[in-house]
Amino acid sequence: MKAPRLDARRVDWLITLALALVTVSWLLAVEGKQGFGRDEGQYFRAGERYWGWFEELGSNVAHGEFRRSFTAPVIDHYWSDNAPDHPVIMKTLYGLSWRAFHRCHCTGETRGLHPIPVKGRHVTLPLFARESTAFRFPAILFAALLVGMVYRFARAWLSRPPAAAAALLTLAQPHYFFHAPISCFDAPITTMAFAVGFAYWKSLRSPRWGIAAGVLFGIALGVKHNAWLMPFFLVAHYLWMRRGDLRARRIPRPPLAFVCMLVLGPVIFYAHWPWLWNAPVARTRAYINRHLQHEHYNFEYLGLNWNNPPTTTTRKLIRATAPFVETGFTVPVTTLALAAVGVVLLARRRRGDPVAPEGPTEEPAPEDSKPTWLRPGADVDRAPGAFLLAQTLGPLAVLAVPSTPIFGGIKHFMTAMPYLAVLAGIGIARLIPVLAGVLPATRVRLRRVAPVALAALVCLPAVTETRRSHPDGLSHYNLLAGGFAGGASLGMNRQFWGYSVLPMLDVIDRDEPANRAMYWHDVIHDAVSMYKRDGRLSMGVGDTGFGEEALRRSQVGILFYEKHWTIYEGWFWESYGTTKPAMVREREGVPLVTLYRRGQP
Amino acid sequence: METSPSRSTTRAWLAALVAVSALALVEAASAIVAPYRAPKDQDWRAAAQQIRAAFRPGDLIVAAPAWADPILRVHLGDLIPVEVAGRMDDERFERVWEVSQRGARSDAGAGGTVAEEHRFGALTVRRIQRNAAAVRYDFVARWTDARVTRHGARGDTVACPLVNDRLQCPDVADNSVRRQIVEVDTRLRVALLAPPVVQGTMVIEYPNVALGRTLVVATGLHNVWKRKEAQGPVDLRVVIPGVFDGTFTTRNDDGWALHRIDTSAGAGRVAAVRFEITSPAPQARQFALAAEARL
Repeated sequence: MKAPRLDARRVDWLITLALALVTVSWLLAVEGKQGFGRDEGQYFRAGERYWGWFEELGSNVAHGEFRRSFTAPVIDHYWSDNAPDHPVIMKTLYGLSWRAFHRCHCTGETRGLHPIPVKGRHVTLPLFARESTAFRFPAILFAALLVGMVYRFARAWLSRPPAAAAALLTLAQPHYFFHAPISCFDAPITTMAFAVGFAYWKSLRSPRWGIAAGVLFGIALGVKHNAWLMPFFLVAHYLWMRRGDLRARRIPRPPLAFVCMLVLGPVIFYAHWPWLWNAPVARTRAYINRHLQHEHYNFEYLGLNWNNPPTTTTRKLIRATAPFVETGFTVPVTTLALAAVGVVLLARRRRGDPVAPEGPTEEPAPEDSKPTWLRPGADVDRAPGAFLLAQTLGPLAVLAVPSTPIFGGIKHFMTAMPYLAVLAGIGIARLIPVLAGVLPATRVRLRRVAPVALAALVCLPAVTETRRSHPDGLSHYNLLAGGFAGGASLGMNRQFWGYSVLPMLDVIDRDEPANRAMYWHDVIHDAVSMYKRDGRLSMGVGDTGFGEEALRRSQVGILFYEKHWTIYEGWFWESYGTTKPAMVREREGVPLVTLYRRGQP
Repeated sequence: METSPSRSTTRAWLAALVAVSALALVEAASAIVAPYRAPKDQDWRAAAQQIRAAFRPGDLIVAAPAWADPILRVHLGDLIPVEVAGRMDDERFERVWEVSQRGARSDAGAGGTVAEEHRFGALTVRRIQRNAAAVRYDFVARWTDARVTRHGARGDTVACPLVNDRLQCPDVADNSVRRQIVEVDTRLRVALLAPPVVQGTMVIEYPNVALGRTLVVATGLHNVWKRKEAQGPVDLRVVIPGVFDGTFTTRNDDGWALHRIDTSAGAGRVAAVRFEITSPAPQARQFALAAEARL
């Protein structure tokens, strides 16, 4: 019997699927070791509450009161949670995923920990043992989608091994990997930024992708406010690509993609967020102002605690380096080196040339097409170098403005990272023929496996570093910085929002009866509740609250190491009467969380 | 027509291939090996045992790099009381135990000589012998000696008597001077917390100070949230009649600033030392100071 032959298209789809499956498997295998940050705790709560609206909608439909769910009080009852902070596409998906896939112990002792009343045992498809995993599943799928898309995008320029390497290098970045499986928005908006960029790129030669770009931009607006910046980077590329028009003093045609983004984006954004429906203008303004006037949280960078816009020239200059230095110290160094090779190659590329040697040539323009607003890239080279440059440097440049808050570090310009990985893929593609050139022509088999071997070799450090970093990706720094310890010595941010307590939960749980008066410091109450719902913490463990007074009421407490929390350590010393911690949770010798116990000798 | 690349270009790409491949191997190897280079719990226990065996009251124990300090305190925290952990500076310590990793050295050991050194796995314990400054008068430790008054813009003066743990001025709840652990520049110090007042002067006077050749005054602004909230400077005037009269200004970015005052003109005498604290913008200014008269 003949084995079925796969054509090139099917092989690529299979590889895409395999990469996505690897992503889902890897993230699902390790997400349980990663604790819940302040933001994730809130999004668990909001997601479940949004599910509550759907639950009530079902009930109202059953009772013939469909319209009731769309009245202002009912909408606000559910959808005011976490508003105006963030739109709701991801939180809604988290809530729906939880409802569909959790293993329900909801009528047991954790019943009271749910943000909406549990009316009875939930009938679910119980894929996940922990409720938190069910919440996180959509984020993991978004990461898989990104990895698959990067392969598809890179494959248009590169042969399979470097394109697959680009996809893997997208995932194998310790800081991205940290954000990828959690129920937040930073990894999903990275996916959406890439999706919008991908659709825009295709739209330069295909009108249907122009419409897709508009739809995807609308979805991106519903994921996170980073989406506001996407058009600027695309316009920068578009003007460069059509610089001939500018030289000829012609205004470039507004492309279909931009028109669709302008029209469909706001429509989808408005439609997706019920909270806006009752007062669209006032609430949209509140949402925008929330982010334009966002406070500067505390963040450590190069040994300094930043919590205000810098006022002196020196501090402004230091501040402006943050996104570039953070990228240089967190992305695996081999990936950076490959990206540099890719940049050199693109800088030397001539118009119309393939992006990489031995890679597919630029997608040809349809023969019957003339340049129109429907196919604005039909008559020109699409300038792939400028496109990648704008998408990579654009987000970093915005975060380099000294008046921009820098809290969050990498996550705020993480949308650049898939494009950086594509650049690294281009770098690999350039080195493959060099390797082939040094192999004997007679060693056919060796020459055949050489591209795969080289791609595997250069992915090895990224995968190893990512594995090493988990579950403390925020504390991880690369070979240039000197790893966890090097990052601490350089005064780089170690963590934020209290996720890193998870490995200490057993110790805290055993510490009865002191843990009845437990001070959780930066672990938000919603996160403590989820640890209990997941069965990782006993119901009796207490929570004395936040701040100095809560600390003074406690018998045992924890402290997260971030520069600005030092004052809390002073309160521990004063209130507990000792400088001696009961325990320190560390990674490679670098303290992350300290546990103090009142009366510790 | 395709042109073949020049020889130098070919060599450059070959060099890039070799460099990237070598980098990949080094980086992957480093990621595997690095976790094993970190000090283990038994290293810390052995180091602590060594120090405990030879520790004398008044010794200073420090970690290098300083970020390892919490782990150091897990093992030796009972030998590091709050006053030592929150010390004004390192000058008064003659013997410094330094627990070092990754080749780091501490500031506290600077200028001293290594009297002994022991290796425990990834940790190195050094006893460093220093020329210590002899402290004649510690203003923070003797805070109850102080007389505190508040002087208004119209020349009115009110006394701030000792009430429980502070010298409390009347009428305004947070208008007081007290000894406490303060956070200045994200480090903890034991100091006097003496916030300035609106259109007035807080005066802290020590009537009988045994002067040495130097008076070291440390100043800073306590509380990261207050530093975020406000920008106003705080002026500290130090008056030692016949010896010194000068003002130091402290701003948010100054950190824990050490000011050395030459008091050799009054060395060996007992004199009054007065601190006057003012600010043109006193809102959210948690001014902290510490001082020592040294031989």
